[in-house]
Amino acid sequence: MNRLPRGRHGLSPEYVAQNQRERLIAGLTEVLYEVGYQKTTVSLIGRRAAVSKSDFYKHFQSKDECFYAAYDSAIERIRERVGSACSRHGDDAWPPRVRDALSSLLTALAADPPLATISLVEGLRAGPGVYDRYQAALESFVGCLREGAPPAPDGAEVPRATDEAIVGGIASLLGRRVLAGEAAELAQLVPQVIEFALTPYLGTEEARRIVSGG
Amino acid sequence: MMDAMAELTAERGYGATKIADVVARAGVARKTLYDNFAGKEELFLAAFEAAATEAREAVKAACAEAGEGEARVEAGLAALLGFLAAHPSQARMCMVEALSASAVTSARYEAMLHEFVELLRGSAPPALGRPPTLAETLAGGVAWILQQRIRNDEAEAVGALFPELSGFVLSPYRGIGKPGC
Repeated sequence: MNRLPRGRHGLSPEYVAQNQRERLIAGLTEVLYEVGYQKTTVSLIGRRAAVSKSDFYKHFQSKDECFYAAYDSAIERIRERVGSACSRHGDDAWPPRVRDALSSLLTALAADPPLATISLVEGLRAGPGVYDRYQAALESFVGCLREGAPPAPDGAEVPRATDEAIVGGIASLLGRRVLAGEAAELAQLVPQVIEFALTPYLGTEEARRIVSGG
Repeated sequence: MMDAMAELTAERGYGATKIADVVARAGVARKTLYDNFAGKEELFLAAFEAAATEAREAVKAACAEAGEGEARVEAGLAALLGFLAAHPSQARMCMVEALSASAVTSARYEAMLHEFVELLRGSAPPALGRPPTLAETLAGGVAWILQQRIRNDEAEAVGALFPELSGFVLSPYRGIGKPGC
C-alpha cells in the first residue's frame, strides 16, 4: 500500500481516507505476522502504515476493530483466489475443482506468510470476535467442498461432520506449519492435502489418480 | 484452586477471571494461592496441565487395553470423548480458553495437540504409503469438531459424535481401493 504524496496533492478526502484505511489493514497484518496478536499495538500499526494515532482512531475504535477488518479482508482475498480456481470447472467436475481450489489456496498462502498467519493462526487465538469469523470462513469452505460432492464409494452420504473435520483438519495442519515458521513451504503439502480431502469421497486409489493430474 | 480456575475460565473466559474470584470459589486465602502459584497464568497452566495429563492417561490406558488396529483407535477416541463429556469445564479450558488466554497457553495447547497426534500415530493401523501429515490432519479435524461443540456448551453431548468421528479417523487407514468411509 503506497503512501500518498506530501503537501497539496489534489486527492479527494474519500480517496485519502480509503487509502489510509487500507494501509492500516495492511500494516496490522504485517505487524501481527512479526510480533503476534498480544504484542500488536495501535502505535506499531500506525507507524507501519505511516498513519498518525489520531487518524487511526478516525477509522477504527480499537486494535480489535482494525483486526476484524484485516481478518475480513484476508479471508476475502483467499476466497477470491480459491473462487477463481473453482470457477474454471463446471458443476460436474467435482474432483478437479476441489484439487484446484486446494492447490490455489496453498499457493496463495505460501506466497504471503502474513496472510497465512492472520487467517490460520490468529483466527483461533485472538478471542471470540475473530473466532466467529474463522468459523464462518471454514463453514463457507465446507459449503464449497459439499457442493456437487459425490457419495462415499460405498454409496452412503458422507456425514456432515466429515466435511467439517476435513476442512478443520486441513486448517489445523496449515496453521501448525505457519506457526512453526514454515508458511513459505506450504505449497509442498498440496498433494497430501488433496489426497486427504478427496479420500472419504472417492477412496484412496481414485483420490491419488486425481492428485497426479487425472 | 485448579478446579476453581477451570470452572471460572469456562464460565467467564480467562480474561474476565480474577484471582479474587478464584480465591472465593476455592474457599482459600489469597496468600495460600500466592504461596502455590506466581499468578493467574501459572495457576491456569497448572490446571491445564492436570486436565491434559488426566485426559492423555485415560486415552493411553484405553488404547493399551484394546489391543491392536482399529479397535485401539476407537477405544482411545471413546476415552477422549468420555473425558470431555465428564469434565466440561476442563474441556473448555483446554480446548477453547487456552488458545486465546496468552502466548504461553496457546503454545501449551499446541504441545497438547501434538501429544495426541503422536498417540494417534502410535495407535493407528500401519499407514503405509499414506501422507506423512495424515495423523496431524486427522487430530486437527477432530479437535476442530470438538472445539465447536464445546464452545456451544455441548461438551456433555460429545459422546454422540463417536460414530462420525471414528469413521473420519479410521477411513484413511483402510485399504487402498476399499471404500473410504
